[in-house]
Amino acid sequence: MKLLSKSLKGYIIYSVLILLISVPAYYYVIKSIVAEDVDEDLLSQKADMVARLGKVIDKNPSEYLEVFEPDVYIKPTSLPQRADSFYTISLYEAISKENVPHRVLESIAMLNGKPYQIQIKSSLVDNDDLIISIVTVQAILMLLIIAGLLLIARFHSKKIWKPFYATLGKLHEYKIESEKSIELEKTEIDEFADLNKTISSLTNRNHEVYLSQKEFTENASHEMQTPLAVFQSKVELLMQTTPLNGEQAELITELSEAGQRMNRLNKTLLLLSKIDNNQFNIKEAVNIDTTVQKLAEQYMNALNQKNISMHTRVAGDAVINANQTLIEILIGNLLSNAIRHNVQGGRINIVIEPNQFNISNTGNTKSLDASRLFQRFQKQTADANSVGLGLEIAKRICNLYKADITYNYADSLHCFNVRFNNS
Amino acid sequence: MKLLIVEDEKELSKSIVAYLKQENYLCEIAPDFKTALDKTESFDYDCVLLDITLPDGNGLNVLKGLKADNKTDGVIIISAKNSIDDRIAGLNLGADDYLAKPFHLSELSARIAAVIRRRRFDGNKVLVLNELTIDTLAKTISVNGKGVDLTRKEYDLLLYLVTNKNRVVSKNAIAEHLSGDEADVFDNFDFIYAHMKNLKKKMVQAGCEDYIKSIYGMGYKFDI
Repeated sequence: MKLLSKSLKGYIIYSVLILLISVPAYYYVIKSIVAEDVDEDLLSQKADMVARLGKVIDKNPSEYLEVFEPDVYIKPTSLPQRADSFYTISLYEAISKENVPHRVLESIAMLNGKPYQIQIKSSLVDNDDLIISIVTVQAILMLLIIAGLLLIARFHSKKIWKPFYATLGKLHEYKIESEKSIELEKTEIDEFADLNKTISSLTNRNHEVYLSQKEFTENASHEMQTPLAVFQSKVELLMQTTPLNGEQAELITELSEAGQRMNRLNKTLLLLSKIDNNQFNIKEAVNIDTTVQKLAEQYMNALNQKNISMHTRVAGDAVINANQTLIEILIGNLLSNAIRHNVQGGRINIVIEPNQFNISNTGNTKSLDASRLFQRFQKQTADANSVGLGLEIAKRICNLYKADITYNYADSLHCFNVRFNNS
Repeated sequence: MKLLIVEDEKELSKSIVAYLKQENYLCEIAPDFKTALDKTESFDYDCVLLDITLPDGNGLNVLKGLKADNKTDGVIIISAKNSIDDRIAGLNLGADDYLAKPFHLSELSARIAAVIRRRRFDGNKVLVLNELTIDTLAKTISVNGKGVDLTRKEYDLLLYLVTNKNRVVSKNAIAEHLSGDEADVFDNFDFIYAHMKNLKKKMVQAGCEDYIKSIYGMGYKFDI
């Protein structure tokens, strides 16, 4: 639920509730006030009438008492004296030809010393119409007020929350590697200004941590170079010592191999951090076909040794705008994997199409675990020469150029596909 | 031959000196920027091995100083930063070569020999070892004055072993020297055996003594 609708929800519920209660309440309150008014009116009418009749009434009142009918009805009674009473009845009215509610006052009064029963009626039809009109107008007014208030509240909320939504949008687009910190609009609302300030400093700090971590990897790899150089040089000097026997030579060879592996690992880590640091930023038009040919020539020895036949099909010119070195590393990694994990007398198929290429090879007759394939140090063989970073590098290079790299296994071929999305 | 080794890592400069003593080079060591500047200003060297990252300054400034004084010392940059920018910056400033750490001492020795050969203006670009003569300009060899036809790889291999003569050169160093980065990808030395076998055969057939010795499968040595 959106913030705006959430905050307005309470208002709407409250307004509707008040509206629902207020209309009938209003109706009954006005009605009771009007009824009270009518009763008072009837009482004063009666008092007036009794006062005036008291002077004129004599021997036979029934003859002229009828002139007051039907609204006023006076007749002698034998009933004892009692308090005035009111009631409402429905009576047929000839003029409007319908039943109309009437308020009736019944009273016993002494006229010339004799008791008379007095009945005074008053039609309520006009009053009812009045009440209904008043309530209707009132209801419309209430509705207008509520609607207006809601609209104003909505408009205001939108305006007030605008900087918040702007901040949210910026946060959505924030990438730790590309931006130093988020630049946010100025706002007059203290809370939002505070929020923006906090976010700015937070992103700034995060970026710094990110940078220092990147720097650490790079520095660590660089610092490694010197002791590795010392190690390697000492091993080489050890080779020159005399006398040297076979046992020593074997140990030295093994030391040298280990040093070589450390070198390779370190070089790869450096390469990764260089890709991350965007140090390969010179772009040019790179032809995939020519690059593949160049690499295949380089790997000719290795191909011949395993008797691997390589078939390249070019189904369109694949030229992409990228860094030549990185594309060579990408294809080189895939190609060397295809050679290393191949079988004697196996084959490698390369298909080059516009904006994508496939490298597939024969090898182990079991599909590789695609979900773990591109993770660093996920070696799927016990081959000591592989450091387990080749595909990680391939993936990073692909990420850099917004390309997708996928793996699948079909027809006993391990196939890697690289698709460039916008080049 | 006078050499200046500008390197702050003492153990590494010690190794370099120890390895190069065979060549009868006169090696001097400058462990920091200031010493390097003093020495290059006061003396002439045939080759300066220059580390870029020194504790008290950038090695490239030593190179700038050399060029400003119109000195002709050969310069090989040895750097822990194997970045293309650094390499280009160094070579643009007039360095003769660039070697990334860690490197094989045999490779360094070969590079130094190449720089010194190039800087020699007396036209002496021919190496003579008994009956074997190597013309480094024409990239040809002859035995007892008779030319021997070698492939490019075989020639490179022979020259590499000769510049490191009487020292064991490891298989790794040879593989890297011959094939560059490919050796990194495939630790496979079979192709070295093949080249080595052909080279030895051709030389022996031409009447050259078999100077190249395999040392316990560890590497090879041009023993003379």
